Amino acid sequence: MSEISTREPLIEGNKSLKDITDDVFNPIIAKPGKLWFLGLMIAGSAALIGIIAIVLTIWKGIGLWGVNKTIGWGWSITNFVWWVGIGHAGTFISAILLLFRQKWRTSINRSAEAMTIFAVICAGLFPLIHMGRFLLGFFIFPYPNTRDVWVNFNSPLLWDVFAISTYFLVSLVFWYVGLIPDLGTIRDRMKTKFKKKIYKFLSFGWTGSAKHWQRFEVVSFTLAGLAAPLVLSVHTIVSFDFATSVIPGWHTTIFPPYFVSGAIFSGFAMVLTLLIIARKTMNLQDYITVNHIELMNKIIILTGSIVGVAYMTELFMAWYSGVEYELFAFINRATGPYWWAYWIMMTCNVISPQLFWFKKLRRSIGFTFFMSIVINIGMWFERFVIIVTSLHRDYLPSSWEMYKPTLVEVAIFVGTLGIFFTCFLLFVRFFPVIAMAEVKTTIKNK
Amino acid sequence: MKEISGYYDKEASLLSAVKSLRDNNIKIKDVFSPYPVHGLDHAMGLRRSWLPRAAFIGGAVGAISGFGFQAWVFTRAYPINIGGKPLMAVPSFIPVTFECAILFAAFAIVLSYLFKSHLGAGADNKIYDERATDDRFVVVLDTADIDNNEAEKIKSKFEDSGAMDVKYQD
Amino acid sequence: MENLNLTFKFSKKIKIVLTVLIFIGLAALVYGILNYSPEKIWSALLLNSVNFLTIGLGATFFVAVHAITQSGWHVSIQRIPEAISMYLPIGAIFMIIMLFGLNHVFHWIHEVHHDPIIANKEAFLNVPFFIARLIIYLSVWISLTYMLRKISKDSDVGDGQKSLIKSRTYAAIFMVFFALSIVVFAWDWLMSIEAHWFSTLFGWYVLSGVIVKSFAAIIIVLAILRYLGYMEFITKENIHDLARYLFSFGIFWMYLWFSQFMLIWYANIPEETFYFIKRIDDYRFLFFLNLALNFLIPFLVLVIRKFRRVLWIVTAMAVVVFIGQWVDQYLMIFPGTMKKVPTIGFFDIGLTIGFIGIFLWSVLYSLTKANLLSKNHPYLEESFHYENT
Repeated sequence: MSEISTREPLIEGNKSLKDITDDVFNPIIAKPGKLWFLGLMIAGSAALIGIIAIVLTIWKGIGLWGVNKTIGWGWSITNFVWWVGIGHAGTFISAILLLFRQKWRTSINRSAEAMTIFAVICAGLFPLIHMGRFLLGFFIFPYPNTRDVWVNFNSPLLWDVFAISTYFLVSLVFWYVGLIPDLGTIRDRMKTKFKKKIYKFLSFGWTGSAKHWQRFEVVSFTLAGLAAPLVLSVHTIVSFDFATSVIPGWHTTIFPPYFVSGAIFSGFAMVLTLLIIARKTMNLQDYITVNHIELMNKIIILTGSIVGVAYMTELFMAWYSGVEYELFAFINRATGPYWWAYWIMMTCNVISPQLFWFKKLRRSIGFTFFMSIVINIGMWFERFVIIVTSLHRDYLPSSWEMYKPTLVEVAIFVGTLGIFFTCFLLFVRFFPVIAMAEVKTTIKNK
Repeated sequence: MKEISGYYDKEASLLSAVKSLRDNNIKIKDVFSPYPVHGLDHAMGLRRSWLPRAAFIGGAVGAISGFGFQAWVFTRAYPINIGGKPLMAVPSFIPVTFECAILFAAFAIVLSYLFKSHLGAGADNKIYDERATDDRFVVVLDTADIDNNEAEKIKSKFEDSGAMDVKYQD
Repeated sequence: MENLNLTFKFSKKIKIVLTVLIFIGLAALVYGILNYSPEKIWSALLLNSVNFLTIGLGATFFVAVHAITQSGWHVSIQRIPEAISMYLPIGAIFMIIMLFGLNHVFHWIHEVHHDPIIANKEAFLNVPFFIARLIIYLSVWISLTYMLRKISKDSDVGDGQKSLIKSRTYAAIFMVFFALSIVVFAWDWLMSIEAHWFSTLFGWYVLSGVIVKSFAAIIIVLAILRYLGYMEFITKENIHDLARYLFSFGIFWMYLWFSQFMLIWYANIPEETFYFIKRIDDYRFLFFLNLALNFLIPFLVLVIRKFRRVLWIVTAMAVVVFIGQWVDQYLMIFPGTMKKVPTIGFFDIGLTIGFIGIFLWSVLYSLTKANLLSKNHPYLEESFHYENT
């Protein structure tokens, strides 16, 4: 059979199998550069600030926050939804793109999955702190107790508990199953005894047997099949937190798919932010090529446009439905006291991604990096707009209020950014950032 | 002598070696490779894995127990009227049922995979060549009841198919 | 593959069969006119016009998506969705015929001055704008579909690589326009039947149905061609892939159905719930049948890997989904247009059979117009040599 193919190569540099192993292995044994330590210091101090703020909140209570009557969900739920959204790209890349046979995902799936796990950890922190009594967090799980009462399965907040914990566990398992062979590779190349022992433990005794590989592929594919609907369900259930209520601006049926799309949109932006840094600092330009960045930008246009269409649909339906409260909620968003948040959201999420229709911009790394941050800001404001503008003016004008975060809330948010980047920096230091075995299957000169 | 192993550095020569060994009715114990080799399971005559069935069963158990538990809680154990919803509020039960199904299915298949493959924290499986997880392919034959004459023949088979090295092990 | 030049012959025998189908449709129409109210006849016509038009549209979507994503697996069957998309102009004629019956289907036309809620929507729901929108959708859909088809046909005598790159531009334009227009089309022709009701998700829900039924149609046409002795080169892997699409988009349809239903059920606002109450109380059997045909049956069958690789099982599921989508469409239209609950009889089924006849005629005729295999497509080889895990 003749190979008629006009596809661009997935990785550059005409690598051999050994080159791939070396490229992924060397950063793990090499002494990390100054930049890495600097990054870790900054991220670590941010995390520390966050932890202090969290301890303070638990010690003194939610009163330290700016949330008040009618606006019970301020920054903390905004951040929760934002982080969960970011956590969607990893599983999207490894599950949905695997099912659609998009082979380019192989060089980015590992780090995107790791990012998912860290983002979900950051997300999970917020509801837990928001409970006020942190130590009673286990109350949300249905366990037999002396009061004979169970949890409320009618509540979307409880569905969230199930959805987020399932998502976390399945993503973790999916990620680790993929890591096992690569950890085996590292174990076999590690020279120092102690480190070899650790990687031997982590690699679960992987040998690369044909039977194992066969099962590995079946398991990956089945997990992908399970994770694909799971990814849809998680942000769907997060959107149910809002949409099952009767608050104008929250109760609208388009929320589930539109939240999912927005989640993938922001997730890809975060993946781009991280990978553009990683490819530069870790010399992965041959693996994460401009072609990869362009393809991710195409997904950004797609999901960004879906989000844009959803905004328009909501606006149109607010008018079409003839419900005065709904119409007021939307006019208030665009022209009320929080108009600036609304227009930041619109510019960052709807207008700016359209620039990616130009091939030149799509393939420009600097511009993509800039855009990835713009989009994440935009998506943060989307959640802020949805939560705060709908809550601050409800049916009863006498209880209209304004909301402003306090320093403690800001510190907690900065802290989660710190935790996220600390985890990611430690990950790139000790784990294979590229799914070696999977990349090896895609190269031509074996 | 217990085992003979052949070492290759190319996917193509590995595949042809496996084919020629199988054509000569020589039983292959195992093959080790750094990545899943396309078509190797056919060449070795491996049967399809039953693992997806574990996921299916896990998913079914998860869905039924998840739904059943919620129904039991709301209709038998502690019926409460919540927001005027019926006690048996089927649409409300779907999200948790779905999550339970996925969770059980994923854990069922992964645990069966690890168990069946003898993989797990602290597992100590035999490694023939440390480069088998890098860029080498290893074919291992079980030769416990084979005499030296035949072993020589196998060795030449290996060499014909482009093996870089052949090793005996007791 | 030895010989890549394969042509389809539209034999007399098939033509006779299709003529019989069309005559059944005509007989049903005559029977309907003699027995039923104009509401019912126009509703049934609307059902079939929209149903088959959107199948053609979904086929162009299939072609466009695969051009953009640079996939290779679909190349060996690509001519089938292309041929299906050639039904669009005929579908457009039926939509234009529908314009003469708007009064009988859309109550907002005559209630706009008595009903304050509808009066509020007049800027959008008025006949001239309604017709203008239809003309815009149809003309853009048809011209882009013809462009894509022409590029694909040209590739048989020219350079496949160049054609692919050229088609990508048109495919991207089509995708953008399609995604926007199908949503508004759904508001116009399906949601505004019950002009008081609104749901932001409705357009996307209809879109998911369009995708599912065009996949079903592709599978059914493929099975017909196989039955007639063509397309022998289709591998089990191709069938597996088609089945997987049917399976996963069936789940996606169910997901959107559930999202819409759940949110309306949970919030329990009378302005929204009346839509579902009517359907559950008066059309209970069809309401649940819809879920069984579109989700439960195909899901339980196609979840088994072995069944996804057998053409007749996959085709049977495609037929189930096709009927399911018909029921779904029925539930969108009839509860809104009919005052009393109608029964489904010879008229409804016969009319659809007639439409199937016209549809297949158009598809098979278009198949004769091009090689059965897109032979110069650069990824042709890929669609023969790949394996599913």
